[in-house]
Amino acid sequence: MKRPGRGIACMWYPIGFTVAANPSSAVVKVNEDGTATLLTGTVEVGQGSLTVLGQIAAQELGISADDVHVVSADTDTTPMDTGAIASRTTFVTGNAVRLAAAEAKSILFEVASEMLGVETEELEAADHKIRSKTFPDKQVALAEVAVRAQIVRGRPPLGSASFNPPTVAMDPETGQGKPFATYVYATQIAEVEVDDETGEVEVLRICAAHDSGTTINPALAEGQIEGGIAMGIGMALEEEILFDAEGGQVNPNLTNYLIPTSLDMPKIEVDIVQSYDPVGPFGAKGVGEPTLVPTMPAILNAIYDAVGVRIADLPATAEKILMAIKEKERAEVKQLGSA
Amino acid sequence: MSERITKEKQAEAQRLLEAAPATHLPAVSPRLLPEVPALTPEVNKQTPAVGQRVSRVDIRSHVTGATRYIDDLSFPGMLHCRILRSAHAHAKILSIDVGEARKMPGVVATLTGDEIPVNSFGSTYQDQPVLAADRVRYRGDGIVAIAAETEQQALEALAAVKVEYEPLPAVFDPLQAMEPDAPKIHRNSNVYTSKVIMRGDVEKGFEQSDRIFERRYTTQMIEHVPLEPFASIALWEPDGQLHLYSSNGRITLGRADLARTLGLPMNRIRLTATIIGGNFGGKNEIRTEPILALLAGKTGRPVKAVFTREEEFIASTTRHPLVMDYKTGVTSDGRLLARSVNLVLDGGAYASWSETTVGKASILAAGPYRIPNVRVEGHAVYTNKTVTGAMRGFGAPQVAFAYESQMDEIAHSLGMDPLEIRLLNGFEEGSASHTGQLLQAVALKDTLLMAAKRSGWMEGGR
Repeated sequence: MKRPGRGIACMWYPIGFTVAANPSSAVVKVNEDGTATLLTGTVEVGQGSLTVLGQIAAQELGISADDVHVVSADTDTTPMDTGAIASRTTFVTGNAVRLAAAEAKSILFEVASEMLGVETEELEAADHKIRSKTFPDKQVALAEVAVRAQIVRGRPPLGSASFNPPTVAMDPETGQGKPFATYVYATQIAEVEVDDETGEVEVLRICAAHDSGTTINPALAEGQIEGGIAMGIGMALEEEILFDAEGGQVNPNLTNYLIPTSLDMPKIEVDIVQSYDPVGPFGAKGVGEPTLVPTMPAILNAIYDAVGVRIADLPATAEKILMAIKEKERAEVKQLGSA
Repeated sequence: MSERITKEKQAEAQRLLEAAPATHLPAVSPRLLPEVPALTPEVNKQTPAVGQRVSRVDIRSHVTGATRYIDDLSFPGMLHCRILRSAHAHAKILSIDVGEARKMPGVVATLTGDEIPVNSFGSTYQDQPVLAADRVRYRGDGIVAIAAETEQQALEALAAVKVEYEPLPAVFDPLQAMEPDAPKIHRNSNVYTSKVIMRGDVEKGFEQSDRIFERRYTTQMIEHVPLEPFASIALWEPDGQLHLYSSNGRITLGRADLARTLGLPMNRIRLTATIIGGNFGGKNEIRTEPILALLAGKTGRPVKAVFTREEEFIASTTRHPLVMDYKTGVTSDGRLLARSVNLVLDGGAYASWSETTVGKASILAAGPYRIPNVRVEGHAVYTNKTVTGAMRGFGAPQVAFAYESQMDEIAHSLGMDPLEIRLLNGFEEGSASHTGQLLQAVALKDTLLMAAKRSGWMEGGR
């Protein structure tokens, strides 16, 4: 019989890594037509980081995402970056990008200040323009400022900057300290059906609520969360590298090492909780790794809710669940007998 | 003439696109796919840029197959490299004979560990050989690399390599590897990195508790399974600079490792990472790059290596299996008073990213809860198994499985709602973490309540 169950799990996860400093640098060049080029040493690994970094540069300069071209991942042409690791790209590289864009912007502001007769502190960059914060009608097109900065004032608007997350070294004996600049939080609730005759689990629905600070790009954040859940389902129920007695892998192929496919995916409902991190770029934190962290316990707690067995040894294969159900039934019969 | 054909083709492509509903592109894309506006052009052009559902800069090329991964790159005269891997999990190498292999059809060069200027690498400890020269510590250790005209020829030549081993006792279980009489894999102790977190007095906390919950949780070894296996091409530019194209997620560290293993100044190495087809932590260090650089130097030709799916499993890194002993003391109304955690990470044959993983796992192990008394101890242990390293979550998924399973058990045992016990104990704005860090922007309870609302948790509550 198929028995329904549901389980909840939450988590916390740090942004950036401990052990060593993990800085990022960035270079932003504003072109004569008001578009920009961003140089970053981070690597796009499929998560959409180049898009997000472009959005951060665009936001700082008051232009649109399409106005920023991103050049990445070349040790000769792009500046130092600790890399696409530790869910740090939005937070750490993003801060470097924002600071580099701000430096380029300060050159534009100095030139615009003369053009508009407005103090630089009174200026803002928004909607492809540089304008007075108090009298927005006093404005000039960003492209006009950029070309003037370069060919009249001889000051090409470019900026370079670095960022390293603020941490405090941990005491080696007590582990007390501030190992990470910030943390994100998440909760997932899984609904499953467990067949108590076969031990088979079907994950029907996952509700995922994730905090990532300010969301730079909701579509990409949702994509990360859905992808993380797929990975979490694999870890919860089926994936495992097996070894023979001589230390050789038994299943080093995708025929015998099973990963979830699109057919195994449940209905996923994502909520992104908005928070604001005072250190993050525009309040952003990160989203990459934490997405799969609550998935396994949410599913395992749902299995318990469905059939009353706790599997403490991942993955919770159908065999393990069925054996646990039989064990539980035997124990219950024994209890009845002794009563 | 050619211009007219191009225009005709473009018109044909446009017709095909227009004939098909937006969601059903032709199964085979027209050779010349005309520029069509992005699905949401207005978003990418809007300001402010932050918060917009901007479409990815690379989405069009991914969907049309125009993205060029390493395996799509080719250079004139390029050779292909394959690597012979160990036949034993732990053994001394007595001799390596590549004489016959060199005579095989298509073979241009071979490389062994003793030809590598500095034959070791590693992100924290440089304990891993680029090619094993005198000892193998797991079945994924490479021993001989062969560059040939075709990949098939390189593969066939591997069978002609003769390696003589003297097998050594091996250990595969991390708990057994911690025993004093266990076979030693690198040094006097197989425990190579540890972390301790202490806050309050955990024994006193247990004494004050009404109930104690104890359980051992274990997790498995997992492969990243990126769509694109690890791939790299080495070539020497005419100006004497070494240029590597590599699916490496950390080029700064990658270049430093290359400079070290090859004994080259950093400004003579250029590491270019292309768009990578999935990383998840498995591409955060060098793998074949120094080997290809040396083979390219020997032959004067570009050399490429792309991992097979099997190599991706046996010779890349994997997720640490953990043995986790959790003990938690609570009051009868569900408040957490003390938690002690002991973590043993199966570190595999080489250190890789274990130090970072032990650190993160230990820092996070007690969960996002206000607990006055905490003690966490984590150890990474060498075994003669596949190297475990960086993987999405760095130990956090394993400990979350344990702490959240135990929270559920505590709630059920005390007759509490699992949501309620989390709301009762969860971190709040300004809470101190288990390392004494005052936390800000703490959205834990918001996520709990939002997920609960979305799922209808309260309505179905017990």
